[in-house]
Amino acid sequence: MGKYWQVIKLSLQDYFVYRTNFVLWRVRSFIFFLTLIFFWQAVFSGKQSLFGYGQDQMIAYVLGIAFLKALVLGSRSFDELPGMIRDGQLTKFLLKPVSISKYFLSRDLLAKALDVSFSFVEIFLVVKLLNLDFYFPTNTSTYFIFILVSLLSVILYFFIGLVVSAFGFWLEDVWATRWLFGIIFLEFLSGVYFPIDVLPRSLVKAINLTPFPYLVYYPLKVWNEASGVLEKTPLQIVLVMTFWVFVTCFLSGKIWQKGLKQYSAYGG
Amino acid sequence: MKRLFKIWYIQAKNAAQTQLLTTKGGVIFLIGKVFRFLLYFVFLFSVLSGAGGLAGFTTPEVILFFLVFNVIDVVVQFLFRGVYVFRSLIVSGNFDLDLLKPLPSFFRPLFGWTDILDFITLIPLFSFTVWYIFAHQLADIGGLLLFFLLVFNSVLVGFSFHLFVCGVGVLTTEIDHLIWIYRDLTAMARFPTDIYSKGVKAALTFVVPVMVLITVPAKALMGFLSPGWILVSLFFGIFSVFLSLKFWRWSLKRYTSASS
Repeated sequence: MGKYWQVIKLSLQDYFVYRTNFVLWRVRSFIFFLTLIFFWQAVFSGKQSLFGYGQDQMIAYVLGIAFLKALVLGSRSFDELPGMIRDGQLTKFLLKPVSISKYFLSRDLLAKALDVSFSFVEIFLVVKLLNLDFYFPTNTSTYFIFILVSLLSVILYFFIGLVVSAFGFWLEDVWATRWLFGIIFLEFLSGVYFPIDVLPRSLVKAINLTPFPYLVYYPLKVWNEASGVLEKTPLQIVLVMTFWVFVTCFLSGKIWQKGLKQYSAYGG
Repeated sequence: MKRLFKIWYIQAKNAAQTQLLTTKGGVIFLIGKVFRFLLYFVFLFSVLSGAGGLAGFTTPEVILFFLVFNVIDVVVQFLFRGVYVFRSLIVSGNFDLDLLKPLPSFFRPLFGWTDILDFITLIPLFSFTVWYIFAHQLADIGGLLLFFLLVFNSVLVGFSFHLFVCGVGVLTTEIDHLIWIYRDLTAMARFPTDIYSKGVKAALTFVVPVMVLITVPAKALMGFLSPGWILVSLFFGIFSVFLSLKFWRWSLKRYTSASS
């Protein structure tokens, strides 16, 4: 455990060396967040509810995106692992008495802690400056379920990240797979850009067959105490998420086992 | 000018050969681009159908803003993709070699890498946009001609901003996040900028001229723009080129070639 604590401390020092990078990264997140707020405010202008959302619920959804993007999608492993596999740097982890998954999980936890802290400041600023009114759950149990599904999302994202990173064992262009799966599929289908139930029903059903909407969309459905197009209860959401966590955990283990046999440490 | 175009063409051809060498990456990239465009399109269509428009614009008009954003964004990326690899030239010191060549100093930083994948997506996107304009009778020939003039002006603004980023790169060796912030800011104009508050609109006009870059050509196309705005935009385009060249020369004088 001690060595992974050291990893967290070293990663923190790393952040302080490249402070500008981190600040600029937060500026980017803030611009994205602000765009969504203005967009939905304009869509709801003069309307009380649309697509099954009240205006306060939609604002809560967007604020929730800012929070969950930091908590769930804030990650170092997803960015670094595929490249390390490709250029042979993975070898240094294989030779050391460290677990690759625990090493990157430690780095991820720090990234998430920093991102979440900054996201709270950003959310507070936007709520105050734009005088936003957003939805708070009426049942106390919703808060506990929201915390539970958010934690499940963090674990689910970590395993999805390991699966996608493993493409680096077989593919040359890791940047392309990272972009397609890590940004386009994952962010669009998880509900980071918009709640997926505003899309046509057949498309929502298809997206719902993947684990992606359980990263952002369903946790925010829980917060909004709304069932959405597919009418899932919080218990069903928790059960399906648990199922996906087990599936992706199993898959990542199998794929990494196969990948490591394939690994030939080019350039390492 | 003819000689520069010839050099750009050779460089673009070489870049295309490099990109097409690893076709898997290119195909994955194209799938991602098409998927993102289609999903955004369906999303906008669904939302606008439910909401009945946005900020006083009808559904076809808002979708045209989105299409114009995509066209201009892809044109600018296609031309100035070199900025994304300029940092490696600076930190490795290889930029010194480019400065020795009989070319304008900004040529390699800006035009050093032309993205063929952007060009591949541009053709169907542009064709669809023109079809969409006439299918929904959103503009006439005069509006289209004015649009092309203002897209050229947008390319000038895009040139200026990318050159400014290169100048900052020479001074600080930091480019990546700055160019991505520019991308995020321009993405704000995928919707009509009328949805933003006055302060944000002012920032999008004077700090990073996103309105001149995207909103002005889109509005001119639909006939929503006064002649005054058109003149101001054209002046802004020319003035931004002048300013960025000044800044580039100033930053180049401070280039230390430290890594070479």
